[in-house]
Amino acid sequence: MSESKIARLHEGLVSKEFSCRELTEKYIEAVNKDNGALNAYVTVTPETALETASIVDDKIARGEEISMLEGIPMTLKDNISTDGIRTTCCSKILEDYTPIYDATVWKILKAQNAVLLGKTNMDEFAMGSSCETSYFGGAKNPHNINHVAGGSSGGVASAVGGNIAVYGLGSDTGGSIRQPASFCGIVGMKPTYGAVSRYGLIAYASSLDQIGPITTSVEDTAVVYDAISQYDTMDSTSQGRKGESVRSTLKNDIKGMKIGIAREYLEGIRDDVRNAVEEAVEVYRSLGAEIVYFDLPSLKYALPVYYIIACAEASSNLGRYDGIRYGYKAQNYRDVNDMVKKTRSTGFGDEVKRRILLGTYVLSSGYYDAYYKKAQNLRGKIVQSFKKAFEVCDVILAPTVPMTAFENGHAVSDPVETYMTDICTVPVNICGLPGISVPCGFDNKGMPIGMQLIGDSFCESKILNAAWQYEKAAGKFKPAGFGVKL
Amino acid sequence: MVTKEEIMKIAILSKLSVEDDEIDKLTKDMGEIISFADTINNAADEGVEFDNINNLSNAFREDKVVPSLEREKILANAKDSDDGCFMVKNIMK
Repeated sequence: MSESKIARLHEGLVSKEFSCRELTEKYIEAVNKDNGALNAYVTVTPETALETASIVDDKIARGEEISMLEGIPMTLKDNISTDGIRTTCCSKILEDYTPIYDATVWKILKAQNAVLLGKTNMDEFAMGSSCETSYFGGAKNPHNINHVAGGSSGGVASAVGGNIAVYGLGSDTGGSIRQPASFCGIVGMKPTYGAVSRYGLIAYASSLDQIGPITTSVEDTAVVYDAISQYDTMDSTSQGRKGESVRSTLKNDIKGMKIGIAREYLEGIRDDVRNAVEEAVEVYRSLGAEIVYFDLPSLKYALPVYYIIACAEASSNLGRYDGIRYGYKAQNYRDVNDMVKKTRSTGFGDEVKRRILLGTYVLSSGYYDAYYKKAQNLRGKIVQSFKKAFEVCDVILAPTVPMTAFENGHAVSDPVETYMTDICTVPVNICGLPGISVPCGFDNKGMPIGMQLIGDSFCESKILNAAWQYEKAAGKFKPAGFGVKL
Repeated sequence: MVTKEEIMKIAILSKLSVEDDEIDKLTKDMGEIISFADTINNAADEGVEFDNINNLSNAFREDKVVPSLEREKILANAKDSDDGCFMVKNIMK
């Protein structure tokens, strides 16, 4: 099983087995050595990291208590604003943009002296499933660099899976935390909508976006989630965590817990992935959980509903990139309108432009009712069907992705085929539910397979509890051949 | 089926320009994406409306003055600024 790396390093710092400076230097060296192969980081911040490390060392020397995340080297996806540190969304349009304020999640972690190693790669504006729409080229899979790390939080997953960061924060609009975590054989959780502040997260689709942790163990995810799930006055959808620390209930017995399997989730899934999930079902049976089967017929509409709503919101959110206030600005133009058009047309990549166009199309006069309105109604229907499902089970078990990480270059050729890979992850975002991906096996090429546990709103503790028990009984985490050897 | 003319129209609405050598591929891609979106056409959605997720209501904070961002810092990210303002080409003759 995968133990808590954060707890182990915290212990090492407190017991003075190593200093925070030594730990940080080790990670900086590993980033320098392995980032060329993984392309996980797009900006590195070694000076900031070492400055923080010395603050932590001073605190320890003075005998002061330090928090669990204090002095632990970590990373942030490059759509999470960092005051004074370039934040690009991996787009040409924000290539030289430096935020002048911190995202709330970073403010929280910075206050705990989290050691930021740098900002990590992603699909441009979080639009993609392979990280390959990044302006800086895609992040690679630490289990085999000829395969993608997944997306959109591919850089965080590559860095954490390759152990050139202990943990990271990503964002998940339609699976962008869980899918790359699954591809890289690690743990990633998308919290309930409203549980973690999105202030300072560069918006893609505001009714779906959520920040969450990517780690190598379930316990680490719980530690990070406990830290970041706070109510924030700067986010009007913020609620914070409901209830106790999720770490405190992590190791509860799951005898009698009802694990639901929706048959539709297992349709069209590659055999090896389905087998791995079915093996996990047996693990749960052996742990005394009750397995409940049911149907979720509305699932078949989840993917088109997701793309219509996400793109509609994106077309509005990305209207702000006009070259006037920040970001890239085109040269040689006739007038303001021409400048804005040229800025956007040369600043955005193809996938972003396609999604803006689709979003504008579904919101435009004559199409609004047939697409956007209809998709919203169906969203209501999907929400209802999940509410019903949670009347018969505590947690839903499903695959995270219908396949394992594709080879580099495979995803970009056909947009619709690439969208299909999100089929198992988007329902959670549509309904605002929490979902976690946990490694549950490997394919015949050694690429990781992930399974997903989905809970009712604000029931993170239940999915983490179920995930931790599985991990303890049959966890499939395996370190990749990169990064710091601990 | 989406036409080239429709693509050109939504490109104008989106403030994106589409070059002559891009339009065929873009029309094909958009056609595929829109026919994928069309799969919801036959879905029954009577009697259901989506209001919001998790019954969220606006999380309002107390309306009081707090420190805001500094003008100089904001302008530092703009390519052209002058006298505390963002600069664009004149929009009126």
